[in-house]
Amino acid sequence: MTRTHRLISLSILLAAGFARGGQGPVTLLNVSYDPTRELYQDFNAAFSKYWKAKTGVDVVIKQSHGGSGKQARAVIDGLQADVVTLALAYDIDAIAEKAGLLPRNWQSRLPDNSSPYTSTIVFLVRKGNPKHIRDWGDLVRPGIGVITPNPKTSGGARWNYLAAWGYALKQYSNDEGKAEDFVTRLYKNVPVLDSGARGATTTFVQRGIGDVLLAWENEAFLALHELGKDKFDLVVPSVSILAEPPVSVVDKVANHRGTAAVAKAYLEYLYSPEGQEIAARNYYRPRLKEVAARYDNRFPHLALFTVDEVFGGWQKAQKKHFEDGGIFDRIYQGR
Amino acid sequence: MSQHSRRFGLTALLTAMLSAPVWAQSTDEKVQELQQKVEALDQRVKADERNKELKDDAAADEAKNGAAVTADTSGFKIRSNDGNFVLKIGADLQVDNRSFEGAGSSSLPDTILLRRVRPTFSGTIYKYVDFFFRPDFGQGQTVIYDAYLELKYFSAANLRVGKFKPPEGLERLQSDDDTSFIERGLPTLLVPSRDIGYQLSGNLLKRRVYYAAGVFNGVPDNGLADTAASDHRSYSGRLFLTPFQGGSENPLSGLGFGVGGGGGNVDKIALPSYKSFGQNTFVTFASGVVAAGHRTTLAPHAYYYFGPFGVLSEYTLTEEGFQKGAVRRDIAFRAWQVAASYILTGEHKSFTSPTPRKAFDLRNGGWGAWEVAARVGDFSAERGLYSYGFATPAQSPRHAREWVGGVNWYLNRLLRISVDYGNTNFASASRASERVVLARFQINFI
Repeated sequence: MTRTHRLISLSILLAAGFARGGQGPVTLLNVSYDPTRELYQDFNAAFSKYWKAKTGVDVVIKQSHGGSGKQARAVIDGLQADVVTLALAYDIDAIAEKAGLLPRNWQSRLPDNSSPYTSTIVFLVRKGNPKHIRDWGDLVRPGIGVITPNPKTSGGARWNYLAAWGYALKQYSNDEGKAEDFVTRLYKNVPVLDSGARGATTTFVQRGIGDVLLAWENEAFLALHELGKDKFDLVVPSVSILAEPPVSVVDKVANHRGTAAVAKAYLEYLYSPEGQEIAARNYYRPRLKEVAARYDNRFPHLALFTVDEVFGGWQKAQKKHFEDGGIFDRIYQGR
Repeated sequence: MSQHSRRFGLTALLTAMLSAPVWAQSTDEKVQELQQKVEALDQRVKADERNKELKDDAAADEAKNGAAVTADTSGFKIRSNDGNFVLKIGADLQVDNRSFEGAGSSSLPDTILLRRVRPTFSGTIYKYVDFFFRPDFGQGQTVIYDAYLELKYFSAANLRVGKFKPPEGLERLQSDDDTSFIERGLPTLLVPSRDIGYQLSGNLLKRRVYYAAGVFNGVPDNGLADTAASDHRSYSGRLFLTPFQGGSENPLSGLGFGVGGGGGNVDKIALPSYKSFGQNTFVTFASGVVAAGHRTTLAPHAYYYFGPFGVLSEYTLTEEGFQKGAVRRDIAFRAWQVAASYILTGEHKSFTSPTPRKAFDLRNGGWGAWEVAARVGDFSAERGLYSYGFATPAQSPRHAREWVGGVNWYLNRLLRISVDYGNTNFASASRASERVVLARFQINFI
């Protein structure tokens, strides 16, 4: 190596050193699904405060929201997410498998299968419940307008669909044919298929379309409390699905951006008493027992089944119901 | 009133009294039924409106994420709708005919050859990164001519890395399909063709000033290579001014002038190859001569375009070190050229090829663009080339003077036919003048 080259190399090293020396705020991008806007607005503020007190470093967290499947595709296509907090494990699996941005065992890295909070699917109806909707069976009556988003793009919609399917299996003694017929009749009553849960809420609440919104429990509570108790009622069906929205660091992005440590701490903070408290305040069911006990009255009690119990896991459910050519395509094309 | 009549009246009254609620009830039902129908219609209208809204959103999303494929006179292109990703597929195909006149005019035979066969892949990724890849399969060889990435975030400072033309000679930097002559002039022999390295370039003062500076592996004059010959690097730079702007109404707006240059150690790199207009090598170095020491090049140049007229001129001085045995000396080479052209059909002449006002089409009376061009040029090496034994007068004239006249027919933006006559006089008793007619059929689009 000549003297000139040594000088150039030294200059580059010095420039790099100076560039690193100026420590500005750390930025994180949390790519999440539709209805978590309010949860993460609160949580991000709390975490920034916590991180500043702990390390002295400012952290700015940016949020991106949309249908869970759509968000996963955006990350696969290059959206630089440090963490993903999506509606279902399948979508994070897709990021691991198709883009290799995180290890396939990502779900084992945090407690409770990397789901720091849970939720379920309930019904939001017009005030006074004029169509007398009490349970899943009422949704297939002629003339009932059911609002639910598209399971192809929305994680919430897939939970809705599987909750209805699980109810039908229970109702018809695990007869798959009858379950398909039930869900087919339900989707015949769907006049608008939004791409995400927040869009479906807009359709039902702001556009006044439909008689019942199949909604995340937190989304239903939010609509009820924020948009008017005088306009809507919450209906809790006899049985529903236990939704476990998962979270993960996107390793390759976080490592590349030098944010791996803060991204990990960000997700771990979701499991802390403060994080769990924020989740509960935003109508997500907390995992931590003492927090869950404090908010017991907030969440209705109903029989809940899991995807693993009824469908054998997300991979099987996805392949059978939501892949191209799956049962949902058959149901919806036959409308 | 008879008893029968009274009974009939009572019956009628009772019937009327009993039927009144029935009438009222049926009216309510009808109202309710109508209300339900109105509500159902209202729901349907709202649902249709919302579905349209979602469809429009999806279409907007699709428009943002989709891509357009175009095929037109500018070539073939795939472009994302946001413009951030572009792939262009191009080609540069030149079929030449060389006919030498007179005995001893050429050591090369008359020939028809594929002078350049260059598929081109270029475009943009992530909005700010351009790429360009162009191999050449012409003349029976496979050579990568250009392969580079260019980060274009700031217009005043673009970073180019890869293999490309170092910024020294004016005509060298002009694309081969834009030159007015089939082969380039003598000053271009004294600057590198392609080299691998880094270059920072940009436009300043509203494009009045262009600068470029780069560091490269180092290649011989008029040469290219894919690897470095030694640890040493060469440096190239160019400053070019187009101070007068204001469009075609300003007669000085087509004036540009500047200077290019470079330098570096030439130890172990290949010897330069100097070729005439007919591509005959006219300087052959003696056995045992190697490049050694430094090479320094200075290349002032200018062009002027006004309406259909254009003139390009440059002077290049290169001083390069050679060694034979224990003798090492720097030898100076000088070359200049003045080239002028005029487009007979009135199109504007510029640094790039003209676009015919009317493409060639006999049915619709289009004749394309016709251009006549002429140039004179001179090349000389200092006497030391002989006195230090680096070459002999018998094999290598140290002086060449050429004149070239030509006609270019631009059938359309992509097709061109050219015919040139070139005469190169070597001022040497042992070397006859080269007289050659070159003809070219060319298709080029990037």
